[in-house]
Amino acid sequence: MNSAGLTASGLGLTRNESGRRFPHAEDVAALEELRAEVVETLGGPGWDREWHVYDLDALARVEIDRLVERGLMTPVFAERPGVGRGFAVYGEGEASLEINGADHLRLLGFRGGSQLPALWSLLSRLDDHLEAMFSYAFDPRWGYLSARPRQAGSGMRAYATLHLPAMALTGRLAGTALELAGKGLALVPLWTGAGGMVQVSNLGSQGKSENEIIQQISSICHGIVEKERSIRKMLLRENPLQTRDQIGRALGVGQHAWTVSFPEAVNLVSAVQVGVDLGLVEAPGMAAESAFGLMSRLQPAHIVVDYMDGKIGCLQSPEIDECRAQLLRGIFAGAGALV
Amino acid sequence: MFAEESPDWNLDLTGSAICEMCGDEPATVHLLRVVDGTVSHTHLCPGCAESVAEETDGLALVLAVPSVLRDLSKGQVHLDDETEPTAPSDQDALFCAVCGTTLSDLKESGLVGCARCYQIFAEYLESALAGESEPVEHPGKIPQRGPETDNLRHEIMRLQRMLRELVACERFEEAAGVRDRLTELGERLEEEPE
Repeated sequence: MNSAGLTASGLGLTRNESGRRFPHAEDVAALEELRAEVVETLGGPGWDREWHVYDLDALARVEIDRLVERGLMTPVFAERPGVGRGFAVYGEGEASLEINGADHLRLLGFRGGSQLPALWSLLSRLDDHLEAMFSYAFDPRWGYLSARPRQAGSGMRAYATLHLPAMALTGRLAGTALELAGKGLALVPLWTGAGGMVQVSNLGSQGKSENEIIQQISSICHGIVEKERSIRKMLLRENPLQTRDQIGRALGVGQHAWTVSFPEAVNLVSAVQVGVDLGLVEAPGMAAESAFGLMSRLQPAHIVVDYMDGKIGCLQSPEIDECRAQLLRGIFAGAGALV
Repeated sequence: MFAEESPDWNLDLTGSAICEMCGDEPATVHLLRVVDGTVSHTHLCPGCAESVAEETDGLALVLAVPSVLRDLSKGQVHLDDETEPTAPSDQDALFCAVCGTTLSDLKESGLVGCARCYQIFAEYLESALAGESEPVEHPGKIPQRGPETDNLRHEIMRLQRMLRELVACERFEEAAGVRDRLTELGERLEEEPE
């Protein structure tokens, strides 16, 4: 699988109920009442899949972090204190719902690959169902109203995750980010930019329809990905020794290290994936899943829950790095340079 | 996962509206730099941002411009206007009776408290958020069970935009058809009870 594409897609849809003040200005009783009504609706008939409602107060830190790592919960919601908050996951994680975060409702969807239209289709259907029960705060001029006026409009924020190690290595992300900023888009690092992972999203949602926002982001990201591909080829053409050396070293570390932090693991997987894409190395252990999927399951809370039985409460524990290194050794086993 | 949000920008950025590098030009660019996993934020003018971008050969240097800051550079929010009174004006005394939000609250936090705030603070929000020429309007999905008048107003706005585009393209016959439809919808809107 060639990773020089849109590696993951995310979508957020903000809605508020017309009869209540926005969460930061509403009283506790009204927020609790809204949460109860939403939870009741989620448990009602008519949904294609079931909603799993979480009790946020009962969730351990590692469980919350795993929801964030899966793209089911936003980092800002996970960190936000507050009353009346609720959270639910649709089906096996096809979508999720944050209740009483910055706004009353925020539908979320996140999945690997280029999936923005499919996500919009799903979230719009779920939105229609919720709207049958709740009267949304809407104004023909401003669109769907939000506590943050900049988010009023379609209420939609689309996120495209890109794997751009060559652009990061050659210092071209800054110029690209400037260019995007002029078009109302943000380019921010994912995982503090390890492995050249970035996320492109729309800063505001006014004056454009949902499909226009998706079209704009898809089209711009396609151009960025093409640029990344050409820079990778240029690097190999003009600096073949250094390029092969970087990739070979990453493979060597991945095959033999006994403790690996998450950012380092992302850098290693990123470099080896570039090697696979350029036809420099073969890595059978990476054939079954995307580099992004692999990086995702190497995140701390994923490791603790999926491979350590959730027994470690502190996500900075050295045992996690040890377990990650063991996983990497297994993934990179049998990998080698193609001469 | 979703990346960490960039800092939530307030509508009123008096303290950070000047470029931190040259100290002269309005800061319209938010520079987010990641070096060795450490994140730093600076506010720059486009000129300084470009020079920093050219000089940077680090692994991760990322910039984003909040639309509000761009609006500042267009002068739509007159933070540097010397004629603007420093004492609270009549405008600043505006407040929403539903949620108690004042214009000062809005300027400070960037948050409105309820749907009614959009009407109370419409003038300020329009100046802070509207584009350069296009009026603010919502072209996307609308609630299916909204009042009929909402749907009518939305359709009227959509047709008004279409009319402007058709006139700009000199497609006058089609424009006339849209104009007639607009007249018809306008009459229906007047007949609707408030």
